[in-house]
Amino acid sequence: MPRIGNTAIATVTVVAFCSGVWLLYGGDATHVPPQPGAAEGVLDPGGEGLAAPALPPSPPLRIRIPSIRVNAPLIGLGLTESGNLNAPPAEDKNLAGWYEAGTTPGEKGTAIVAGHVDNTRGPAVFYDLGALKKGSTVEVDRRDGGVAVFTVDAVEVYEAKDFPDEKVYGAAERPELRVITCGGGYSRSTGYQGNVVVFAYLTGSR
Amino acid sequence: MRRTAARPPAGAMAGAALAVAAVAAVGVLAVPAHGAEGGSLEVYPYSVEPGGRVTVNTKGCGEKAAAAGDASAVGAGPFTLAPSARKGEAVGQFRVPESAQPGTYEIVAQCAAGDREVKGDLVVTLMAAQGQVQPRGSVKTGVGGALGNDPVRTAAGVTALAVAAAGGTWLLHRRARGDGI
Repeated sequence: MPRIGNTAIATVTVVAFCSGVWLLYGGDATHVPPQPGAAEGVLDPGGEGLAAPALPPSPPLRIRIPSIRVNAPLIGLGLTESGNLNAPPAEDKNLAGWYEAGTTPGEKGTAIVAGHVDNTRGPAVFYDLGALKKGSTVEVDRRDGGVAVFTVDAVEVYEAKDFPDEKVYGAAERPELRVITCGGGYSRSTGYQGNVVVFAYLTGSR
Repeated sequence: MRRTAARPPAGAMAGAALAVAAVAAVGVLAVPAHGAEGGSLEVYPYSVEPGGRVTVNTKGCGEKAAAAGDASAVGAGPFTLAPSARKGEAVGQFRVPESAQPGTYEIVAQCAAGDREVKGDLVVTLMAAQGQVQPRGSVKTGVGGALGNDPVRTAAGVTALAVAAAGGTWLLHRRARGDGI
């Protein structure tokens, strides 16, 4: 029986050691949350899909996005001193929030939901938001017992330094929803440089 | 003599007074406690412009969870609270008339079962919805904790180091046996 050569063993050992060290300590930002492709950013021609009739105002309780396995409770969010939307507490990885002083999801206008892409321990509620596709469904449970069903019509990523406030937060003539999380470029010094924003509009309720 | 005997001693009077006070205190406490166990009428939005739609719901009407609502204080008249998809909760809606004046109005609902009545306040304001403050800028919703934390990659790295350790041990073992190193 031929013996395995020392050289072969030594080679395997060295290669395994180097790749082990590289896998554990090498490479920067190797595990990046999914980001939307360019095709997801294009709104339907004409821009306005036919929305379902608006629902009366009722605060949201829960958001569900079946295609990326999101099912999280919603808390009310306010604004920071500089007028930015506050984020929900980062410690709870399965928690999202909605802009309480704004439109409720299902009502005419732009309702805003935000949640973390990650926290210090790893991926959080909206980690996969950037992987969402046009046509996906977002459901919001409301306190009146109903469920507002939204259809995604765009997924965009915007840099913080050039954030299109009006497009994201501006008033809408139909019941719309924005779902926001962190995204864009990442650097260890500044963190994420922007946001992934999902644009959706009401297409049903039950 | 008889009257004197019939009169309770001063100490007993004081005791009785204390007891009455205690009962009264319990009674007073019992009212908010009752309201706190889901007995109030939740009004949303709490503050609305004339012409706006309002949703009210309550957990205070028990299992049957239906009620007759009355928003006539604000000029909207009667409305119905029907059982909602959430167990033990009744929900109803009404529209505040365009003619409503700013102020605080009491909305009342009479439970269909029992004689329970639940109440909540609605504030009518002339501030237009356009006055609503809109957020601006980006949202801080990540810290980068997910980066470099890929469990698959970590497992692969550990496995590779284990292979390297096994290979190294094997080589040392061969050398110790004088197997031609």
